[in-house]
Amino acid sequence: MRTFRGGLLIGLAVAVAVAVVAITYERYDTKTLKRTIRRGEVLCGVNTGLPGFSIPDDKGNWTGFDVDFCRAVAAAIFDDPTKAKFIPLDANERFKELQNRKVDILSRNSTWSMSRETSYDLYFPAVAYYDGEGFMTPRSRNIDSALDLNGSKVCVQAETTTQLNLADYFRANNIKYQEMKFAKLEEVIKAYDTGQCDTLTADVSQLYALRLNLGKPGDHVILPDVISKEPLAPVVRERDDDWMLIVKWTLYAMINAEELGITSKNIDEALKSKKPDVMRLVGTEGNYGEELGLTRDWAVRIIRRVGNYGEVYERNVGSGSKLGIPRGLNQLWNAGGIQYAPPIR
Amino acid sequence: MTKFRHLIWMVTAAVGLTLSISQSYAQQPDVGDQPGLLADDSVELEPEYRKQMVYYRSTEPPGTIIISTAERHLYLIQGNGRAIRYGIGVGRDGFQWQGLLNISRKAEWPDWTPPPEMIVRQPYLPRFMAGGPGNPLGARAMYLGTTVYRIHGTNRPDTIGTAVSSGCFRLVNADVADLYERVPVGTKVIVRQKPEL
Repeated sequence: MRTFRGGLLIGLAVAVAVAVVAITYERYDTKTLKRTIRRGEVLCGVNTGLPGFSIPDDKGNWTGFDVDFCRAVAAAIFDDPTKAKFIPLDANERFKELQNRKVDILSRNSTWSMSRETSYDLYFPAVAYYDGEGFMTPRSRNIDSALDLNGSKVCVQAETTTQLNLADYFRANNIKYQEMKFAKLEEVIKAYDTGQCDTLTADVSQLYALRLNLGKPGDHVILPDVISKEPLAPVVRERDDDWMLIVKWTLYAMINAEELGITSKNIDEALKSKKPDVMRLVGTEGNYGEELGLTRDWAVRIIRRVGNYGEVYERNVGSGSKLGIPRGLNQLWNAGGIQYAPPIR
Repeated sequence: MTKFRHLIWMVTAAVGLTLSISQSYAQQPDVGDQPGLLADDSVELEPEYRKQMVYYRSTEPPGTIIISTAERHLYLIQGNGRAIRYGIGVGRDGFQWQGLLNISRKAEWPDWTPPPEMIVRQPYLPRFMAGGPGNPLGARAMYLGTTVYRIHGTNRPDTIGTAVSSGCFRLVNADVADLYERVPVGTKVIVRQKPEL
């Protein structure tokens, strides 16, 4: 009798444990790729409007660096970059909406940090764009290094990490400055443009966008120094490894393509190449695409339909765009920057 | 009359120089060059080709020149993760090369003697041209090792950012003069190409 009751208790405990495991398991989505394929499009969470990164025109056509990255994922899966649907999300709701499965991927200038990965059950597969805090000064000041900013009046947005980084950097380098804080970014710009301060600090990508709206953009320079780490990365849900790997290797395929000299214009030539690195990327040797759950020509689809990393950069934020941001940190590792992709082999 | 005598002297000198000059001393601007055309210094370069300080990570020591042919940029390494970047014009297809050389000689307002193989390709070119504002080599030239290649100025600032030369690297005159003051003879010059498929 005693053993029977004991057995019952053990059985009950096992049942409860199995149920708990099952519920926990369900909490994590592992079927993003399957659902995306069934649906026939990738749902991309993007910024509501940020020139160069993601912005809709009056007909609702989206353009930008983040937009093109999502199109590259769609191209890898469907061989069609238009199979991407853009869902504008503001900063407060973006991570929640990703968790709630409203989008398959966030491609929305989000900074990768440890707490965001640990506290939201999210994963940042790879850095798409290295941003960071920088400085703009009038060209007439003839300054070409942040270390020469001694005695500057610096305009900065109050209550931001930008303000904290500024204080840290100037203290660490023993530079004296006068801080002029404003609550809104528009006020910061206005103060700089009207000469209330002689230095403006914000993230570098932002400085280039802000400079366009100054009275005389050509009279201002953005210094090459980057004093903080703002690695912008796509974001996916944790524990959906198949999907995470597709997002990660889409970016790495684009970076590797640039390093190997493969562009949307010479992709047909690349298919005839006898160089092993090129052959592995374009799928004429090995079968890396199918191991990813896609096709052998997955990278060719990305490069042909959207372009390599450099093409996407220049078109949206670089020399082919109004922003004209120099490659800087986002240049390849062997050409002065730090963009580096693991090999495809 | 003095003008005429001067011209005679120049032609004689030109013929003499053309005959005596060795190939390694010949100089190579090319297509797109219009000998005699005065440089229009008011031409404004595209922003990406204007001289500027940029972030550039390198293991090369400060003072080294790195030329990226595909980018159409010449970097002068400054250390501390930065470089001065200039816009350049580069060799057209079939006239691009890569490697490591040193600046072997520097000259202000250099004379130009197109080498024989260039004359064969472009018979209309002069055999010799004295240095000056109409000279395709522009305000300064920095000679690379014992090759026929140079970093030089130009009388065609509108060709910066393009691939038209016979393998030389051209900068606008203001930029080449700026670079000239910053680099001594012996400076290491690394030329990088885009990878081949």
